[in-house]
Order: sequence, then C-alpha cells, then structure tokens
Amino acid sequence: MSSAQIEIQLIASLVAISCAIPGTFLVLRKMAMISDAISHSILPGIVIGFFITQDLNSPLLILLAAITGIITVILVEYIQKTGLVKEDTAIGLVFPILFSIGVILIAKNANDVHLDVDAVLLGELAFAPFDRLLISGIDIGPKSLWVIGFILLITIGLLFAFFKELKVSTFDPGLAASLGFSPAIIHYGLMTVSSVTTVGAFDAVGAILVVALMIAPAATAYLLTTDLKRMLIYAIGFGVLSAITGYWLAHYLDASIAGSITTVLGLVFLMVYLFAPNKGVIAVLYREKQQRTEVSLLTFLLHLKNHNEESERHVNHLNEHINWQKVRSKSVLDLALKNNMIQLDDNIVSLTEKGDEFTSQAIDYIITNEDAQIEDMKDDFFLFRG
Amino acid sequence: MSKKIAVQIDDLTVAYNYKPVLWDIDLEIPEGVLMAIVGPNGAGKSTLIKSVLGILKPIAGSVSIYGKPYEKQRSLVAYVPQKGSVDWDFPTTALDVVMMGTYGSLGWIKRPTQKEKKAALEALEKVGMLPFKNRQISQLSGGQQQRIFLARALVQNASIYFMDEPFQGVDASTEIAIINILKALRKAGKTVIVVHHDLQTVPEYFDWVTFLNVKKIATGPVKDIFNDDNLTKTYGINYKVSIQE
Repeated sequence: MSSAQIEIQLIASLVAISCAIPGTFLVLRKMAMISDAISHSILPGIVIGFFITQDLNSPLLILLAAITGIITVILVEYIQKTGLVKEDTAIGLVFPILFSIGVILIAKNANDVHLDVDAVLLGELAFAPFDRLLISGIDIGPKSLWVIGFILLITIGLLFAFFKELKVSTFDPGLAASLGFSPAIIHYGLMTVSSVTTVGAFDAVGAILVVALMIAPAATAYLLTTDLKRMLIYAIGFGVLSAITGYWLAHYLDASIAGSITTVLGLVFLMVYLFAPNKGVIAVLYREKQQRTEVSLLTFLLHLKNHNEESERHVNHLNEHINWQKVRSKSVLDLALKNNMIQLDDNIVSLTEKGDEFTSQAIDYIITNEDAQIEDMKDDFFLFRG
Repeated sequence: MSKKIAVQIDDLTVAYNYKPVLWDIDLEIPEGVLMAIVGPNGAGKSTLIKSVLGILKPIAGSVSIYGKPYEKQRSLVAYVPQKGSVDWDFPTTALDVVMMGTYGSLGWIKRPTQKEKKAALEALEKVGMLPFKNRQISQLSGGQQQRIFLARALVQNASIYFMDEPFQGVDASTEIAIINILKALRKAGKTVIVVHHDLQTVPEYFDWVTFLNVKKIATGPVKDIFNDDNLTKTYGINYKVSIQE
C-alpha cells in the first residue's frame, strides 16, 4: 500500500466517523432528509467562500458553508411553521434553490478554477493526498485529513459533554424542556455540527455520499441494537467498514471511490435488513410463521379441552371439526405430540396433564391479560411476546 | 382554608397561529390537592400544563410556582407527558428512561452516577416495574410504559406533579396502581394535577377539579362544584353524570 492509499483510507474513515455521530441522532429524530437538504444547500456557501479564499480547506469557507446549512434549517422550519406546506415539501423547496444558486455561481465564475459540479456531487477523494498542509515548509499530511480530524475531535468532545442532553431531548423534547434543557439549543447545536461535518466531508466525498454516510450506517445500526451507545458504536463501525471496503472495491473496479463506498453502504444495509437477528425481514417472517403454528396449536388444544365426546376427538376427523386442511392438522398434531401436550389411545386424542395445564394457563392469560401469568410461558413460545 | 398556593396562574392566554386555545385563565391551585383538569377535546388542557412548564410560550399572562417564576422552581416540579408524545421504538431501556428524571437536578454536562441509578431503581420498585428494568421500552405494554413514565416523575422527588392523561390506554390493574401512587403522593403533602378524561371516576379519584374549555369554567373541591351545571357549561350539551354519594 502506498502512503497515498493509506491517507485516502484514513480520510474516508475519519469522514465516516464524523458523519455517523450526528447521523445517528438525525435518524432517531426522523430528520434524515434534513441532512440531504444541508449537503446540497451549503454549495453557495462553499462557492462564495472559495472565491474569497481560493482554498477549499480554509476555515472561513467552512464557516460560511456551515452558516448556509443553518440558514437552510431555519428557512425550512419557517416555511413549515406557516402551516401552508408540510415539512418534506418545505425541504424540497429550499435546498434545490440554494443548490442551484451555487451551480450558477460556479458556472459564471469558476471556469478557470478547480471547482466543478462533478467534484461537488461526488467528491475527489483520490486527489485529496495532493493538497498538502505545509507548516514552515514541512509537509505534515493532506489538508483534508487535518480538517476532518479537527472536526471529528470537536464532534466527539461535544458528544461526550452533551450525550445526556442529546438523548433526553431526542426521546422526549417535552420533558427536556421542562427540565430546563432547551430543545431549541440542542436542535440547533446538532444542526450546526451536521453542517460543519457536511462541509468538512464535502471536499472528500461530495454532496451525495455525505448523506449516505450520515444515514445508512445509523439506519443499519438501528436494526441491530436497542441501546443508544451501541447504536453509535455500530454506526461508526459500519461507516468505517464501508469506507475501507469501498475504497478497495473502487481500486479493483477502477471506479469512483465515492460511488463504491456508497454502494457498499447500501449492500451492508441490505444484508442487515435481511438477516438482523430480531428486526430483520427473515427473522420477522420466521417469527410470524412460528406464531401462526402456535395459534393453531392453541386452538387445537382448546378444542380438546372443550370436547369430552370421543367423536370430536378422533384423529382422522379432527380436520373436519376444526375446519383445517389435512396437512395442517397433521403438523399441529405432530407438534402437540412432540411437546407431550396430547396422547393417543386407539386414535382418540386427549390432553396430557402438561397439555391441560398449559391450556388453562393460556386461557387465563387471554381472559385476564395479566402479564405475570405469562412470563414463564414466554420463553417457550413466541406467541406471547411483544 | 388558609392553605399555601402551589400554582398561581394569572390572565394566561395561549395561541397557536394567533388562534387562542386558552383565554384569560386565572387559576389558583392550593398545595396538597389531587386535582383533575377536565374538558372536551381541544379545550386546552395539555396546553395549560405545557404553558405552566415553559414548554409553550403564552402570549399574555404569568405563572408562578410557590410565588416564583417556573424557571427558578424547576426542581419543585415533575412532569408526565402524554404517552403518545414519544417514540417508544427509541433504543433505550426502562431503567434509562427513569434515569432521565434525574437529569434536571444534575444540570448541563454532568452525568448520572450510582446515586441517580439507585434513585431510579427505587422509583421502578414503587411502580412495580423493577423486574423489567433492562427491558427495551418497545417491549413493554401500554400500561407498563405509563408506569415507567410515572416512575420517571417520582424520581424527580418534586413537590408538584403535572400529568397529562396518565390513565390513557392502560389496563384496569395499572389504573388502580397509578391512582394509589397519586393518593400516596397527596398524603405526603404533594400537589398533583392530572389531565383526565373519564368523568365517571372524577369523584372517586380526585378531591379538586378544574373545568376548562378554552376559558376556565370553574375550579374548586369536587364535592362542591362537580355537578351537572358545570358539566353542561363545559361540554356544551345537557350533561348528566350520576354521582354516587
């Protein structure tokens, strides 16, 4: 690996971490689309900053662009507050206009400088190592590495300092307000961090990938955990994993780094979406199938409990009585036998002691709906969960 | 009765987009009452609580808690929002939600310690939810979620409790558990203010009542003012409830 390759992967990883932290809170606050708005509408801020400083990594440019990001949020909220349009419409109105102002500014004035729409949309991560930071003539690494490193340091500092405030105001803004943690301050704090991170990452990965790095890792982590701290750690992990894998994918395909990282992010999400242990599509389908079987079993046991007459309990006529297909009757019968819930004498089915007790408990639960009675049964059957 | 006034509301007017939802409310809530706020949908019951707690900004009027503005008395007040106002899929546990009640006394930046955790566990115990402390909140029933909210208010160890429909969507056993806790709070000298929907249970649960419908209709002891006349004035139809003597 050349030093340029290491530097690119390092920058991509730091960008991924910086994005995952605010991204987690944006996802939980159902504000994913606002990051899309910010990432596009900071363009005029970047362009104007670039005209002034002629340097994509200058602090003034980052400041100007971040201010544009905050203005976007304020504009969206102002339009929404009038009650004339909904939030998603307000977002859809604001950011294309600001973005296109940026596009026009570039086209009019920047023909002879290194700033074009392609770079803005997809970033130029491959070129990042060429722009070095020199201090008294000594090369101390790529500029964008220092910029994103600095932003990440501040983001982590803020996260540690205000984790509790972020958590309470995201979960329950009403309580946060009544406790004296102004949700407005935290909201605009988060928006500022998101804007600054977006600007810092913009040069490296462009407007589209910034959104992917903010939202996809957090959305993936959300499917895997029920703990906020873990969600943050997983999101960071998925972000870094995708950044590095994406870089090598681009290397072998000889394709855009930003595009490859985004593709990997999408694939990682898809994998987790399908295979996550609890919330994944397959787990949910499996659980539903289990539940159907268990409801059938319970119906069957209830039928046996309610009917003493042998004619209702003959093994070959069960399906007629509870109106099931033969196959289903057979599988339920086997399940009950396997669990020692029933016994067979001369093709007449009857409940065992265990089956009888289980059925009584289940009826009690269904009638009283009291949780205490069901706690023990929950371990054996999905039916009573959730 | 020369009781202290816990909450004093003067000329309070609150508007959403210039449409008043509360109009010129004057209300004194004496210390130590268990009070229901009743009124039809859109009467401004939740708005009244939120304005007292500084969550909404009134366009006129003032509120004081034991004679001082709310901002100076936060530590004396606990709040139970409507259960539906939060996302129960949020990645957190029952214990963690109750811990949030301690954040107010901690202030900015400081983190909860073992002391706060112990207080939260005690509050969970009081509402009978200790066995569920590590359960993810979406895995709790509606009644259990409401108990968690109640525990979160208890952990604040306040003097005044504001609760927004704590009985909404809970089963009978939780309703009894909650009302017993509210009565225990009153017994301990606390003031409890509850937005309440079920008129039938007002005389049984509460000793004080406020009728509200954009304007204040009446406020006072349940035995004096909970009658067909005030109900009709509040709900606008000829309302009759049978009150068991």
